[in-house]
Amino acid sequence: MATEEQLIASAKEGSDSAFSELVERYQKRLFRFLLTRCRSQADVEDAIQDTFVNAYRYIGSYNPRWSFSTWLYRIALRNAAKNSQRVEEIDADSSPTPTDPLEACIVASERENLWLTARRLLSTDAYSAMWLRYAEDMSVKDIARSLGKPMSWTKVTLMRSRRRLSTELSGEQEAAASGEAYG
Amino acid sequence: MDKMERQLREDAGRIKADLSPELQERIRASLESTRPADQTPRKTQTPGTTLWWASSLTGLAAAALVILLINWNSANGPIEDEPVSATPGAALSIQSNFPLIVETAEWATPLEEELKNLQSDLEKARENVERDLRISF
Repeated sequence: MATEEQLIASAKEGSDSAFSELVERYQKRLFRFLLTRCRSQADVEDAIQDTFVNAYRYIGSYNPRWSFSTWLYRIALRNAAKNSQRVEEIDADSSPTPTDPLEACIVASERENLWLTARRLLSTDAYSAMWLRYAEDMSVKDIARSLGKPMSWTKVTLMRSRRRLSTELSGEQEAAASGEAYG
Repeated sequence: MDKMERQLREDAGRIKADLSPELQERIRASLESTRPADQTPRKTQTPGTTLWWASSLTGLAAAALVILLINWNSANGPIEDEPVSATPGAALSIQSNFPLIVETAEWATPLEEELKNLQSDLEKARENVERDLRISF
């Protein structure tokens, strides 16, 4: 089985099969990430398609100094932002509220999925930073690079977002405990 | 890993992310119809590099010119050893502009006269002293 570096090198030399293998490896992760960033299922599909097309087109300019996932997520974020801008322009005219793609894809459980809570509480960039840190295990440096933000901003945002989520969680637990006591 | 981190990871896994076969086919088709923009990595030439090359070439050209001049001089004949002059060249050029053969200053005549005058004065004074002494004793 070829390593990621080998696949990237082959793709840079023009191997379509190597790039297809990279698509195979990253499509689920990217799709899941884009579900949290886009407003509809159609936007998610457009964004993931544009991401892979752009990556394929510009694979020659990829700098191996940065990890491939960082580069790919940066492209995905740009496409998601472009799509959401386009959707806002359409919404300004009139259209029915689309179904939230994230909610549609969450497996039912007893409690609310923490990522739904996070999306309700945090800004879009803070949410993406949290996702890349805890769902993708990216380093702070790579997150900063993906989001196009300074390292200091990324560190502070991660810390504040964690604190905010933690406060929300402890509040919910207290409310649940008091509910049980009265019940 | 604390409780919240663990919960975030678990909840990320609870998000279904299966691409439909239609979407996969759509991606594959769009990739097939796309050509890579440029396979060769872009080479960036900074002004510093250009300057370095320019200065290196200038230095090499200057060194080549000096070597060429030295070789050309040696080909025209060996350089003869010139006697080393104690007088600097600049001083010699000044000397050549002024005639250094001058007449001897005639200081002797007036000094001799002065000496004779003094001696005669001294003689007169001595005679006066002797006369005075004779008068006294």
